[in-house]
Amino acid sequence: MKATRVFQLTALALVLVSAVQVGWWLLDQHAYTVEKVQAARATYADQVAAAQALLDAGVSVARVEQLLPSIVVSGGRARLAPQLAQALTTEERRRYNQYAWEGSFFLLALAACMAMIARALRAEARVHEEQEGFLALVSHQFKTPLASLQLSLETLALRAPPPDAARRLIERMLADLARMELMVTQILESARLERGRIELKSEAVQLAGAIALVSTQLEERARLERVALASTIAPDLFVVSDPLALDVVVRNVLENALAAVQGGGSIALSARRANGAVQLEVRDSGVGFAPADSERLFEKFTRLPGGGSRYGTGLGLFIVRRLMELSEGSVSARSDGPGRGATITLAWPAAAPSTAVAPAAAVQTSAAQRSAAVEEPRP
Amino acid sequence: MSGASAATHVLVVEDDPHLAAGIMENLRAEGYEVTTASTGEQALEWLATHGCTLIVLDVMLPGIDGFGVCRALRERGDSTPVLFLTARGDPADRVRGLEAGGDDYLAKPFHLQEFLLRVRAIVRRWDWYRSASATAATAVLRFGGNEVDFRAFRARAWNGETQELTEKEAMILKVLAEHGGEIVSREDLLERVWGYDVFPSTRTVDNFILRLRKRFETDPANPRHFLTVWGVGYRFLKEGEP
Repeated sequence: MKATRVFQLTALALVLVSAVQVGWWLLDQHAYTVEKVQAARATYADQVAAAQALLDAGVSVARVEQLLPSIVVSGGRARLAPQLAQALTTEERRRYNQYAWEGSFFLLALAACMAMIARALRAEARVHEEQEGFLALVSHQFKTPLASLQLSLETLALRAPPPDAARRLIERMLADLARMELMVTQILESARLERGRIELKSEAVQLAGAIALVSTQLEERARLERVALASTIAPDLFVVSDPLALDVVVRNVLENALAAVQGGGSIALSARRANGAVQLEVRDSGVGFAPADSERLFEKFTRLPGGGSRYGTGLGLFIVRRLMELSEGSVSARSDGPGRGATITLAWPAAAPSTAVAPAAAVQTSAAQRSAAVEEPRP
Repeated sequence: MSGASAATHVLVVEDDPHLAAGIMENLRAEGYEVTTASTGEQALEWLATHGCTLIVLDVMLPGIDGFGVCRALRERGDSTPVLFLTARGDPADRVRGLEAGGDDYLAKPFHLQEFLLRVRAIVRRWDWYRSASATAATAVLRFGGNEVDFRAFRARAWNGETQELTEKEAMILKVLAEHGGEIVSREDLLERVWGYDVFPSTRTVDNFILRLRKRFETDPANPRHFLTVWGVGYRFLKEGEP
């Protein structure tokens, strides 16, 4: 990395020096030509003057023209042969043209080199900055549940709390561990998605089945957190998607909704067919967000005031958007404002039921298998 | 700030509900009264109408961050001590915390005992400072044409300029004034003003003394009140060196 940078900077310096040299060479050539042309003109002027002097002294025209071949005499006046004057002007113009073309060609080529190197340097700096920012955010995201975990454990050790308080602490610790596990999965998923090295299948999947698979797994948590999870999806709605990607998308959207309605509320799922697509709406009664933030939600590690992402990792909706883009679908979010709930709308190309396969994993979907949805293609 | 009536009230500003609950439960178990806020905005709003002894302030909050909250507080003349909690423990971040007007800085994840120790240390220091500035005689210090009001953190310097003091400057001045004429070591100053020895270096103390000289000495290069005792510490002379 460092060696590349040194090389790029050296190349940039060399190209800059070359550009200056070309410029200097152009100026020098120009000055040299001007000097030569002036010298030639002076010589010719001397010859004309000499011829005129000879003529004035009574030397014959024939003799003068013989002595000074570049001079012609007409009407008793000596002047430079027209073809010579013409040749001088032509030569002068030819040289200037040559410098202009060659010079601009070299300067252009050098400018292109400089632009390319500068662009590479800028791109590198941006990547570096992004990596730094990513690391800082990841470490922050991890340290918060870690701090909570440590605090709960040390509280248990220090205070020997009564059983119900201890149970509450243990539940808190388990939730922190789950949060960290989810984060690891999501970081790996988003890293793979960002590198773009994934291949998604295009299959017809029954939406209701795919959602049932995820919501069954989240039902217990929803019940504990006093969240009413209602789903009304017609069984004849089929979407074109990678089954595992669909599973990841639905899971992330539902996890996100659950995080937003911490402390009780409702999540309602509904779907309909519209313009060759199938639209899924996930409406929650949670913390919502300012309408202006509806795009920022899909950026990595977005943390909005009022914080629906308090328990989240800040990666869920980023992964959802990338997967939806790769599935030729779309996702959007809207809210009437903080505290007024939010609706996430997902749309996939509709599929004919006849080509359908079983939803995601009628087999188990553990976190490890979930991440298989964004597995890199095997060589 | 309501001062003594909020003797052991702690405001915890933390957006992570688990961490906020854990901190709150532990502080309550230690006998503190606790209020929690999950955003900087909430904290500033609460502090506009309430007082507390200490603010435990997370740095990375959604919306206005911890540093911003602390700066806003100091700008409106609120000198409530702040203990920063942050996931970033690098030195640059610590310096930012200090510059924003924080009293102490703890990196996440932290040890519960250490956290409680630091909270106790800050509370103890402020109890001492308040009681040491409680009477009319101890609330104001006059020396060399300067007049320092310890309760308002304000001073009128010898040249008539009004000086706003930071808490640390006021505390150092208080310690030195309490031991007028005696030598106070840098370590003693650290212990009394910062409370423990891990965070600032003795160099920090030197910098604070330089700042006090700039504020109150007619010729800071040749101080008459804040005297350096080479290799040991400082001596404060109320009447000025003859």
